[in-house]
Amino acid sequence: MLKYWRLLLLVIMVSASLLAIGLKPQYTGVQIAYIYEDSPAKGQLQNGMIISEVNGQVIRSAEEWNGIVNNYKGDMKLKVNKIDYKFSVNESGIGIEVNDIDRTNLDFGLDMKGGTRIILRPKENASAQTLEQILGTLQTRANIYGLREIRFFSVRGLGGDYYVQVEAAGVGREIVDTLLSKQGNFEAKISKPVYLKDNKGVFDLGENKYDVEYFGNGTVKISNFTVKINDTFMLDDVDFELVNITQDDVLVFLGSSYKGDDIELVYTDAQHSGIMPGKNFFEFYFGILVSEKGAARFAKITSGIQPQLDLNSGEYYLKDSRIFLYLDNQLVSDLRIASSLGGQAYTTPQITGSRETRETALEEKLKLQTILRSGALPVSLETVSVGVISPTLGSGFMNSIAIAAGLAVVVVMGVIFVRYRKLKVSLPIAMVGFSEVVIILGIAANNDWAIWGPVLLLNVIVVGMAWWKKYEIDPTAWIGAILIPLLGLLTWTIDLPVITGIIATLGIGVDSMIVIADETLYGKKDEKKILYTVKDKIKRAFFIIFGSASTIIAAMVPLMAIGIGFVRGFAITTIVGVLVGILVTRPAYAEVIEVWLSREKHTQ
Amino acid sequence: MKTDLYYKTDRRLLLVIPIALFLLSVAILANQYVQTGELFKRSIEMKGGTVITINTPEKLDIAGIESRLRQKFSPINVREMRSFRGYGTVIETSSEIKAEDILAEIKAMGIDTGNSDVESIGPSLGASFWSQAQLAMILAFVFMGIVVFVIFRTFVPSMAVIISAFADIFMTLAFMQLFGIELSLAGLAAILMLIGYSVDTDILLTSRMLKETEDHTLNEKISHAMKTGLTMTLTSIGALTPLLLLGISPVITQIANVLMIGLAFDIMNTWITNVIILRWYCEKKGMK
Repeated sequence: MLKYWRLLLLVIMVSASLLAIGLKPQYTGVQIAYIYEDSPAKGQLQNGMIISEVNGQVIRSAEEWNGIVNNYKGDMKLKVNKIDYKFSVNESGIGIEVNDIDRTNLDFGLDMKGGTRIILRPKENASAQTLEQILGTLQTRANIYGLREIRFFSVRGLGGDYYVQVEAAGVGREIVDTLLSKQGNFEAKISKPVYLKDNKGVFDLGENKYDVEYFGNGTVKISNFTVKINDTFMLDDVDFELVNITQDDVLVFLGSSYKGDDIELVYTDAQHSGIMPGKNFFEFYFGILVSEKGAARFAKITSGIQPQLDLNSGEYYLKDSRIFLYLDNQLVSDLRIASSLGGQAYTTPQITGSRETRETALEEKLKLQTILRSGALPVSLETVSVGVISPTLGSGFMNSIAIAAGLAVVVVMGVIFVRYRKLKVSLPIAMVGFSEVVIILGIAANNDWAIWGPVLLLNVIVVGMAWWKKYEIDPTAWIGAILIPLLGLLTWTIDLPVITGIIATLGIGVDSMIVIADETLYGKKDEKKILYTVKDKIKRAFFIIFGSASTIIAAMVPLMAIGIGFVRGFAITTIVGVLVGILVTRPAYAEVIEVWLSREKHTQ
Repeated sequence: MKTDLYYKTDRRLLLVIPIALFLLSVAILANQYVQTGELFKRSIEMKGGTVITINTPEKLDIAGIESRLRQKFSPINVREMRSFRGYGTVIETSSEIKAEDILAEIKAMGIDTGNSDVESIGPSLGASFWSQAQLAMILAFVFMGIVVFVIFRTFVPSMAVIISAFADIFMTLAFMQLFGIELSLAGLAAILMLIGYSVDTDILLTSRMLKETEDHTLNEKISHAMKTGLTMTLTSIGALTPLLLLGISPVITQIANVLMIGLAFDIMNTWITNVIILRWYCEKKGMK
């Protein structure tokens, strides 16, 4: 077994890659990507739900869905998350955009799934920090409006200028445009508890204090008027709402402290905002500047609220009181209030919080900053590129790729068979080529140490034991055994350029195997020398293979360093593919040829 | 003996073919430059603009669409493209014109625009892509050259490889103009791939000629390398043919087109240009 350690390595890595790609069972149905405002399903269905049947017909793909739904009018029965719904559809259609459910761990690009790709440029010169703010703002907006399938990333132009790339799978341009132009209404409300004793209490607004009396069945008298639950009223220039009465002895009011225009500035500079590592967490902080009126309202609402010790942090916060942040009347976040702020009219409060990792702390900070700015962008953006790709490209495209691949295999095998007249040479080429594709996809798949960690260990054991048994081990074997599992931690999106990269790698791979076959079969008639020279010949073959591989990698490196998105996937795929080829799959092919040649010699 | 004679008498004459093609390529590019002010035809990705592709199962009246759109929009260019899912009607215009307006106009003609793709690139981004593409091509070529020198560490053979690769790329770029293939991001990827593919066979040839110690004559070494190399190039061309015939997507078709042209030139540049320079070098060094 160990004698064929190169083949063993190949088997390990192909199996791991298959696991990493992870074909999942064939769920039926499609996932809701977006529901339009005028959809009859608005309010009943949500993004992310699975539609499995339309009018009793099972739906398997977004394509099928679009086929049925386009120009549909009348009643429509949907089975969503196993529950039946019935909608009446008018001229404007059902108004639901759907995506195929992911069936693998591969992340397919927009040119496969369909969707919208927009490239935006900040109108002013944006620093890396501003860009971070822009991305955070857009991502927060997308999350708030339920568009989880939309992604934002920054790309760098040649002159160091930045662009923002928006990729929205399964969603049309109007939706993305709406999202980009959206600016919400911000409001911060603070919950204010009033404790009752014998149905009586005090509504403490700092300078003014009002008597409160509870009459039972949800009726409360404050000063000289009565309110019921969910009633709103204004007192000392603050809007309040009676939201809850718990166990007949605590009244909970919600007081509006700041509106959008009260937030005069959200600090994002390093002096007023940042992230600090704590003991077991990362703390984020940033300052805001609020209007005097807002600060005064905050002081009134938080007056008279008792402090309470938080055992986790050892700090004091206001008891039973929180500040709730709303965007367009949707609750988006809430925070505790430090007891030192209670009853004080600060115009420059600081917002802090903590998360377990630096990334999540940064994400939360960006999210809160975005909300406080009413979701406004720090600089305005202009659209420089729009791509709308129709989703039906999907399955038809995959089928024709499969046909093309099949035909290519037949042609390549045919040429090689004609050249050598031996199935033993051409069959392994096809199999090794196939393994190369599987390993590239396995590396690109969305996965982590859980798969590639054990592979690294297994590889090292196999090579180590082969070395222990004194089999000849070249240094590249060690490099391959360690490097490939580490590359496995990379994840990238499979789009058309990546498919092209795979085709390129396959072509180079086949070329290399032809070199190996040719080099070793050459001069075979010279019988005495056969076994003696096979190893040398393979070495010579590898000199050529390494040579051409390094030139290809050299040609691809500039594409990695520069280039906006599209071609980078191509470059990564080709480089990874070539590395997999020279370090794992082609040595395995050489081993097959070597074993086969020595067998042939023995049988002669 | 026949092959020997062939190489001895005609080999310098053979060089006429690549030289003629090189001059032709220079002429094509010069002509292009005089006529359009630019060396290469660039796709909208590289210069900015909007492309709308309407996919329909049946053939559309291209001329009719073009004349109707011309009344309202300018510039407009409409062409047809066959694909595996039927017909694609490709409308090109500038990025200032809204794709929605054009689609609305076509819809008004009673054509289903439900299955259409839109790609729009602003002129500044297009210019940025183009300058990046030029830089990528130059850097890729320079890096390749450095690697070739590191591999062989002798001047003439390394230069022979670089000259052949350069001839490949140059002739491919020129003939792309002749066949009306615009340089896009996909085309750029293909050109860079071509650097790899063309150097492949050159390295094979050079290694066989310089490193092989077994007792073979130069001609035997060349013909052995040529057998291997032609198998390599033929399998590549063979694998690309179905990609080209199926017309899966414009991206893949363009890559396949560029590679096919490049590989055809590569056969000539490796087995004529590179071989003649290397032979001359080996003979001078006293190898047989």
